[in-house]
Amino acid sequence: MKQRPIDDTLDSCDELARTLAEIDVGGVLHETASAVSAGTRASFLRRSLGAAAGVGALLTATDAEAATTAATKNDVAILQFDLVLEYLQAGLYTEAERLDALTPTTLAWARVVGAHERAHVRAIKGLLGRKTVPSPSFDYRNVTSSEQAFIKTAVAFEDLTAALLKWQAPRLDSRSIVAAVVTLHSVETRHAAWIRHIVGLEPATTAFDKPASQRKMAELIDSTHFVASKARVARKAQPPYSG
Amino acid sequence: MAKGRTALASGVALAFVVTATAVHGTAGHGRSAGSPTSSLLAAAGGLPSPERPAFVVGTPVRLRKGETPARFAPVMREVEARRRPSRSASRVAELSGETPEGTTNIVLVLAGTTREDGQWVRVRLPVLPNGQTAWVPRRALGGYQFVHTRLVVNRERFTATLFSDGHAVFHAAIGIGRPESPTPSGDFYIRDKLSGFGNLFYGPIAYGTSAKSAVLTDWPGGGFIGVHGTNQPDLIPGRISHGCIRMRNDDILRLSHLMPVGTPLTIE
Repeated sequence: MKQRPIDDTLDSCDELARTLAEIDVGGVLHETASAVSAGTRASFLRRSLGAAAGVGALLTATDAEAATTAATKNDVAILQFDLVLEYLQAGLYTEAERLDALTPTTLAWARVVGAHERAHVRAIKGLLGRKTVPSPSFDYRNVTSSEQAFIKTAVAFEDLTAALLKWQAPRLDSRSIVAAVVTLHSVETRHAAWIRHIVGLEPATTAFDKPASQRKMAELIDSTHFVASKARVARKAQPPYSG
Repeated sequence: MAKGRTALASGVALAFVVTATAVHGTAGHGRSAGSPTSSLLAAAGGLPSPERPAFVVGTPVRLRKGETPARFAPVMREVEARRRPSRSASRVAELSGETPEGTTNIVLVLAGTTREDGQWVRVRLPVLPNGQTAWVPRRALGGYQFVHTRLVVNRERFTATLFSDGHAVFHAAIGIGRPESPTPSGDFYIRDKLSGFGNLFYGPIAYGTSAKSAVLTDWPGGGFIGVHGTNQPDLIPGRISHGCIRMRNDDILRLSHLMPVGTPLTIE
């Protein structure tokens, strides 16, 4: 059997793409996606040649900042991508909880998963330190207050995040970052199975899962238009107020 | 609970050992080097020590129950605000995407409902007469942002108090409008923040609000009420302004670190 090159391992996410496209809504993730795609082969080479220096530095690091300083450009780009994705998810569930417009079962799920995603944000930000990226602005439109739209989006995002982490793990240079990322991966798969169960979808449809590339994820997020431009609410200007 | 889990784990481990022993017994091999179990154990023993994760996810923190922060959203395009959530309802005001001072126009969102033609939200309007609310299609607005603060201005005591999550975090003496140009009362919101204008009259920072002067309607920009500093701190507290809320420069600077745009404002 011919083995597929790892870089070409793309998930056929057509169903998810349709689901996300239905939701309607900028594209902040392309840059980090491209950085990682370009660096992937080089990072494989580095690893196969024994990138012991970087890994060794991470192993001896005693704090997050030292770990990030030692992390390769490739690993930092992957973590930054993940951070934006976690911002997006945390924002989605937090907003849904605050608007309180979903059914009690769905809200209970969102409450637990939202707390997890916010914890993921804190953890990745802690590791990235000064290399952290700020959260974009998000516009979830009606998704956070419409049961059907919310569930479609939640299923798509949880499934895709699990698939994405599977794609990223073999591309990471640092084994200690791999060890950390897999702790997120299993939780994301549980989220995916849980929300699928709630809405009567089969939690595990295949015997093994395919990865979904970072570029694929960036394209899908872009198609949702969830990433919005920031409102300009402060500026240097003469006040026109009555005084 | 923890004891229960330990007992369960011990039970599972014990069951594994018993099962493994039974398999050995049946096969009659004991712990010979060639048995499946011994090869598993040997393989496990040869593995490198586990990698220390680069980060550990901390305890998830849930939102506080009953937490109801205020929310606001930018106006994305010119839109007519209507009396009821329907395109056929009477028009109350037109909202533009930009304020007279060149910032993004925002509205405080108070409620929402879903109709056949989509979602509608009830918003607080920055128009005269003050205090009006009306409905706009949700799609005319951008993403929600949440704030946990509320500014309360007391015109009798000449004070401004900022609450964060219900706790007073800032309190200062203020100046308000003179009798002929009074500061209006009611519920409003902070809609932008200006700085770097180099005008001593307004102090170092000026917040714009959704409140408008009912008398200075021909003022440039429409007579919006601001919350700002002053070059005449000795006049505070008192009825000294054209309707704006003035505070000492130290106070407005302190407030500027505590109060985000979008904060609901009550003038009582």
